[in-house]
Amino acid sequence: MSTSPLPETVTVTIDGIPSQAWAGQSVTAALVTAGIWPLRRNPVDGRLRGPFCGMGVCLECEVTLNGRPGSRSCTAHVTDGMDIRTHTEPLPTVAHG
Amino acid sequence: MADVMAESETDVAVIGGGPAGLHAALVLARGGLSVVLLDESDTLGGQYYKRRAEQLAAAFGDFRPRGTELIRQVRAAGVVCRTGTLVWGAEDAGRTLFTSDVHTGALGRLSTRATLAATGAYERSLPFPGWTLPGVVTPGFALHLATMDRVPVGSRVVLAGTGPFLLPVACALLEVGARIEALIELNHPYRPRASVIGGALRQPARLAEAARYLLTLARHGVRVEQGSRVLAAYGDTQVTAVDIGHEDGSVRRLETDALCVGFGFRPSTELPRLLGCRTEPDPTGTEQLPVVDADGATSVDGLYVAGDCAGIAGVHAAGVRGQLAAHAILRRLAPGRAPVRVAGLRRRARALDRFAALADRLYPMPATADIPDATQVCRCESVSAGEIRQAAATGWNDLHGTKAATRAGMGPCQGRECGHIVAALAGRGEAECFAARMPIRPLPMAATVEGQDVR
Repeated sequence: MSTSPLPETVTVTIDGIPSQAWAGQSVTAALVTAGIWPLRRNPVDGRLRGPFCGMGVCLECEVTLNGRPGSRSCTAHVTDGMDIRTHTEPLPTVAHG
Repeated sequence: MADVMAESETDVAVIGGGPAGLHAALVLARGGLSVVLLDESDTLGGQYYKRRAEQLAAAFGDFRPRGTELIRQVRAAGVVCRTGTLVWGAEDAGRTLFTSDVHTGALGRLSTRATLAATGAYERSLPFPGWTLPGVVTPGFALHLATMDRVPVGSRVVLAGTGPFLLPVACALLEVGARIEALIELNHPYRPRASVIGGALRQPARLAEAARYLLTLARHGVRVEQGSRVLAAYGDTQVTAVDIGHEDGSVRRLETDALCVGFGFRPSTELPRLLGCRTEPDPTGTEQLPVVDADGATSVDGLYVAGDCAGIAGVHAAGVRGQLAAHAILRRLAPGRAPVRVAGLRRRARALDRFAALADRLYPMPATADIPDATQVCRCESVSAGEIRQAAATGWNDLHGTKAATRAGMGPCQGRECGHIVAALAGRGEAECFAARMPIRPLPMAATVEGQDVR
């Protein structure tokens, strides 16, 4: 098939740091390319979690996209100027564990 | 947002735009019925015929041209395709479906004369110490990254579990430049005994597919290590090492930056179970499958199922089963039409079922008795295997009591990741599963609050 020019790139910011991605890529792809695996903490035990299923089932990859919290990064696609926020800071309280 | 619930009507609703749903929708629309095809994703195709984003397809080519052609035919036949729409509830034998727009939360109600559930499957995971570490993923996730996004999940990858699916995932990883540190298959499928190969010879095309993958792997120097398994993953903020256990009892530690582990697929049966259709245990004894006739009709009059949600059998079986269900619905809703001969489709479906049964024999599941007590089973609610065993051992907790006592299966994934494990750990010999309840897919709170008129 046609495989000449590379796709156009867009700039996103991940926790305030600019990063490049190909237009049409998933947000998880942009995060994995930037080497960012931990995306949030489990609210019960406070441990770090990252993307797992890649198809919108496990909800482990939720981040804040352009201010919208609880967005699944595996089913969302990057857009130019997108603001991606992870939530890996320690939780003030955890239920147990 | 969701202040007005949009009402609509159609002859047939098809839920799920994968191979089964697409093939069914095409037959139904060409047969003269009005068809609404619903899919939670923004693009049709499901998991097998998934679509590369336009910008990436322009540079890297079409990932599945056959899927593209099928989707083009479905649209040309006049099927109303509602992508980005999830079905979160149903009643009245599936003749009323409750929907939500994935992006806006807007609620809808769709009335139908018959409904086909073609909701597919998701991957089967089995817990092991360290499986919640970032960087431990399903093989499907690695495949999606490699094929859709052209990104390797890691530079050094360990791929493990069981099932034929591990082979195409390994090849896709090689294609995007990942190095496969180890390819670990729990079973011994690739030197099968003569008795099992008898079934496979009737499906030479499927065998050729596996042989092609094995050849590609051999060319890259990747050997399938059979009879081995992942014992544990280690790392601080993400996975950095994994212990592999071998049949002779030896253990070897590998450094890795991504670990992909999967054990085949679980049927997504929530919708038919919500509607109360009769079920029976699947061949693995860990799932409840809808009981269907040769054409996919369930015990609930007017509700049909097709594809992997009716039992894992793969893309080719899904297409055939989708067509069979569509012909059955046509006979029901358009009895005046000239009858179509479906004997050939039924024969093909039976042959593909035999192949699926062979796969079940080649790739059996490991015993859940091996899961250590300290291992987390429910990822969402952080419940260990020991806590589940303890709750079940009190003697008065069945599966539902165990769920209530431990909260296992009550998190946002609704037991999709852990349900089969909790059932196996708490079970009393017969396959049980968590009840399907509305909403069967997660909904934004705004949708339920603002859409007061839902019921």
